[in-house]
Amino acid sequence: MSLEAEPLPLQRVDAAAEALCTCVAPFLRAPERQRTIFLVTFAAACTPLLAGVVLFGWRALAVAGISILSCGLIERLCYGVTRVPALSGRSHAYLTGLLLALTLPPFVPWYVPVVAAAFAIIVGKAVFGGVGHFLWQPALVGRLAVAVLFPVIMNNPTPDKPENLGWGPILAQSKLVVGDVTVNGRVPEYRQWRYTEPPEGKDAFLLRPPSAILAGLTNARDPAFSALAFVPADVPQARPAALMKLPPINDLLYGGRPGGIGETCAIVIIVAGLYLVYRNYVKWQLPLSFLAAAACVVAVGPVQLARANDTVLSVWWPVLSEGPDVGFIYICCQLLSGETMLAAFFLATEMTSRPVTTGGQVIFGLGCGAIAMLLRLYLEAPIPSYMAVLAMNTFVPTIDTLWRPRVLGRPFFWRWRRHD
Amino acid sequence: MGGTRIAYHLGMIFRRYGTFTGGIDLPDDKRPTLDKPIAVWGPIERLRVPLAPCGGTPAESVVEVARHVQAGERIARSAGGGVDIFAPLSGRVAALSWAQVAAGACLAACPAIELSDLSQMEGIAPVEEREDPREESPQALRDRIAEGSLMTCHPRPAALAQWVAKAHSKRCRVLIANVMENQPMVTANHRLLVEYGGEVVRGLAILGRAIEVGELILAVDERRTGDYRRLVQPTRRHHVKRIALSHKYPTGAEAILAKILTRREVPPGRSLLEIGVGVVDAATCLAVYRWVAAGIRQTARVVTVAGRVERPGNYYVPFGTDCMAMTGGADVPIIHGGPMVGLRCGDQGVVGPATDAVLAVETCRFAAPGPCIRCGWCTDHCPARLNVAALNDDFELNLVERAHQAGALACVECGVCSYVCPARLPLSQRIKQLKQAIGLLRKRMPLFASG
Repeated sequence: MSLEAEPLPLQRVDAAAEALCTCVAPFLRAPERQRTIFLVTFAAACTPLLAGVVLFGWRALAVAGISILSCGLIERLCYGVTRVPALSGRSHAYLTGLLLALTLPPFVPWYVPVVAAAFAIIVGKAVFGGVGHFLWQPALVGRLAVAVLFPVIMNNPTPDKPENLGWGPILAQSKLVVGDVTVNGRVPEYRQWRYTEPPEGKDAFLLRPPSAILAGLTNARDPAFSALAFVPADVPQARPAALMKLPPINDLLYGGRPGGIGETCAIVIIVAGLYLVYRNYVKWQLPLSFLAAAACVVAVGPVQLARANDTVLSVWWPVLSEGPDVGFIYICCQLLSGETMLAAFFLATEMTSRPVTTGGQVIFGLGCGAIAMLLRLYLEAPIPSYMAVLAMNTFVPTIDTLWRPRVLGRPFFWRWRRHD
Repeated sequence: MGGTRIAYHLGMIFRRYGTFTGGIDLPDDKRPTLDKPIAVWGPIERLRVPLAPCGGTPAESVVEVARHVQAGERIARSAGGGVDIFAPLSGRVAALSWAQVAAGACLAACPAIELSDLSQMEGIAPVEEREDPREESPQALRDRIAEGSLMTCHPRPAALAQWVAKAHSKRCRVLIANVMENQPMVTANHRLLVEYGGEVVRGLAILGRAIEVGELILAVDERRTGDYRRLVQPTRRHHVKRIALSHKYPTGAEAILAKILTRREVPPGRSLLEIGVGVVDAATCLAVYRWVAAGIRQTARVVTVAGRVERPGNYYVPFGTDCMAMTGGADVPIIHGGPMVGLRCGDQGVVGPATDAVLAVETCRFAAPGPCIRCGWCTDHCPARLNVAALNDDFELNLVERAHQAGALACVECGVCSYVCPARLPLSQRIKQLKQAIGLLRKRMPLFASG
C-alpha cells in the first residue's frame, strides 16, 4: 500500500444551508426578527389611534383604515412592477400607513389618505429601493405631500366660516364634539374651555388650536395674546393673557384639543413610546434630546409683548422674565400642543431614517427639536415638527459618517480624524 | 449558588473586576454538562491523527502502513515550524488519509495517519508535584517546552514553543489564564479547572516562568467562583491573581479580556503579544504541566459533547477522534467548537487541539436574510465598538479600503452582531471576509493599503 493519500473528495455542502447562512457561526440567533419589530411598533402605534377614535369618533378609524389598506395595496403594486425584494414584505407598509394616519386630521375626505399613501410608498420608499434603503421617513413624505396639495383641507378651518365647520373638530371641555353646530337642539352640549368666553350671541364656536395661539405670541400680529400670564398694565386694550386662552394643561395631556388623529393624546403617546424604549426598538436618548432641544428653544426664543402706542417689545428668555411657574406651564403647553410628541416618539425614531450610533441619534434629536420649534414659532410652518424630522433625515448619512464610537485599540481623537 | 455566596463572604477569594461596553447576556445553556465529571471517551474504533493540527506544513510521516505503534510514540516529524505528532493510543497504522481540523478561521483539510486496532484509552492520571518550577531557569523551561512539541489550544492552535519564544522576545508582562467560557453549552475548561485546578495553576506558573512575566492572572466566570475554592491554595503559592469577571459575552475574547484586566488595547490588526499580554487557556496550562512535570505527551484533550447527542458530558478524547462518531450520528448539524464562534463540521472533521466542544445543535431555519433596516443593534452590542452597519454597507459596496479605515481589523470575531441581527444578515461572516480582503490588500499592494 502506498503512502500517497487519496485526494480528499470535495465535501458536499448543503446548498440550502449555505444560501441561508446556517453553515457559519454563530449557530444561535436572537429571537427578534424584522417582522417582529414592525408588528410590535404597529401595535404600539395602535394605542394613539385608539385614543384618536375615542376623541374624534369613527371617522378617525375610517381614515386609518383607508390609509393602511392603500399603503399595503400600493406597495404590492410597486412590488408587482419592480420586483424589488425589499418591497415584498407588507408589514412595514402597514406600519407606514398607520403612522401616516396618525398624522392626518380626522375629518379629511377619503382621497386625502389615498394620495398621501401613494406619495409615501412610491416617492418615500419604492424609489429608494424599499425597506431599509429610504432616506426620509415615508409616512412624513406622504403627509408633507398632502399638506402641499390640499392646504385648505389640511389647515384647520377658521371659526367664522360656517361652511368649513365640517372640516374640523369642535372643542368642548375635555371632550371633542363633531356635528352641525347650527342645530339648536345640540347647543347645550357644546361647551368651551375654562376661562374662555364665547363670542357675542353664540353658544358654541370653534376655538383655534392651541399651537396657533402659541404661535401668536411670537409674531406680534395679535396683541390679544401677547403676554403669557398677565395683562400689561400700560396696554389698556389688551385682553386676558395668552395662557388663559389655552386649554388647561391636563386637557392637553389627555388629548382634548384639535389636531391629527394620533397627535393629541400625549399621555398615550408617551406610554407607547416608553414601551418601545423598553423593547429596545427606540433608544431613550433620541426622544429625550428631541424634547430637550425643543424645550430649550422655547425657553430662550423671544416672545413679543404688546406695549402702548402699538409698539412691540421682544423679550428673550420668556421663561426667566415670566417666572419659573409660568415658564414651566408655557414650555409644557408648547411641547404638548402640537405634533411634537408624536414626532419625537414615533416618527423621528423610524429605524432606517435615523442615525445608527447613540451619539448620532442625540445630534439628530437635538437638531429635530430645535428646528421644529423654530419653524413653529417664527416661520408658521403648517407641520413644523414633521418638516424638521424630514430636514434632519436628509443629514443622517452625514451624521453617521461624522460621529462614530472609538474603535477598540484606537486613540481617543481617532473618531474625529478625517480619513479620506 | 451557596458556594458563590460563601466565597464572597470569605473575604473576596476571587476579586471582582470591571467590564466593557457592548456585549450581550447569552442564555446559559450549560446545565446538562456543567456538573458531569470528566470521563474517558470510548470505545474508539479508529483515529485519524491530523499531521498539521496547527495548520501550515503537515508533518512528515515516519511510520509505515500496517506497523504497530505504541501510545506516545512519534509517528510524524515536524516539517517547517510545525510540531511532532505522537500516537495517542497504541494500535496499527491502517492508512494515510485526510482529516479536517480546526485551524483558525476554517476547518482545514490536512493529511492524517489512520490508526486502528486501538488500545484502551486511559484517564488523566494525577501527576505528583515534583519540583518547584520557580527553581528552574526560564531558558531550561523553554527548552523543555520545545522538546515536548506542545500546542496552544485557544483560540487558534499554534506551536507552543514558538508562541513562548515570541512572548519572551516581546517582553510580555502579563499572562492571563482565560477560563471565562461565556459561550453557551461549553464546559470543558470549567471542568478542567474544577477537577485538575492545581495542575492548571502550576502549568500557568511554569509558562509564566518560561516567558518571565511579572504578573499571572486567573480569570474565571463570576457565576462559577463557588466551584473553584480548591484553587486558593495553589494560586497563593504561585502568586496567581484570582479574578472573577462578569458573565457577559464575549468577556472571554482575548482582546476584550486584556482590555478589562490590563487597560491596554490591541491596535487593530496587531497581535496581543505586542502590547505585552499573553492569554492561554486551561487546556494548554494542563498540557504544559503534565509534560514538564511528568513527561506526558499532549495527545488528547477535554471536549464537551452536548446538544442532541446520545451521551452528553465532558470527555477526555484523543486527537483524531471522529466528530461525527462522537455525536452518535445525530441528524442535526454538528458544530466543532462553541455555538457562537464554532465551525460547521463535515464528515471529515476530527478532534484537534482547538476542539473544546463538539455540539449537535438545532440551528434554526430562517428565511433568507432581509435588507439591513439600520436598527443599530449590531453597533450597540459590538465589543470592539465598530459601526457594524457601516461595515456591512462597505461589504455590499465592496469598499475594502473604507472598511480598513473604519477599523475593521479590530473585530474580535465574537459573532454578537450576527446573533442580534433582526434581518438575519451574516454580519460576522461578512466582516471576517472583509478582514481577509484587507489582509490580501496589505500583502499584495502595501502602498495602497497603508491605513
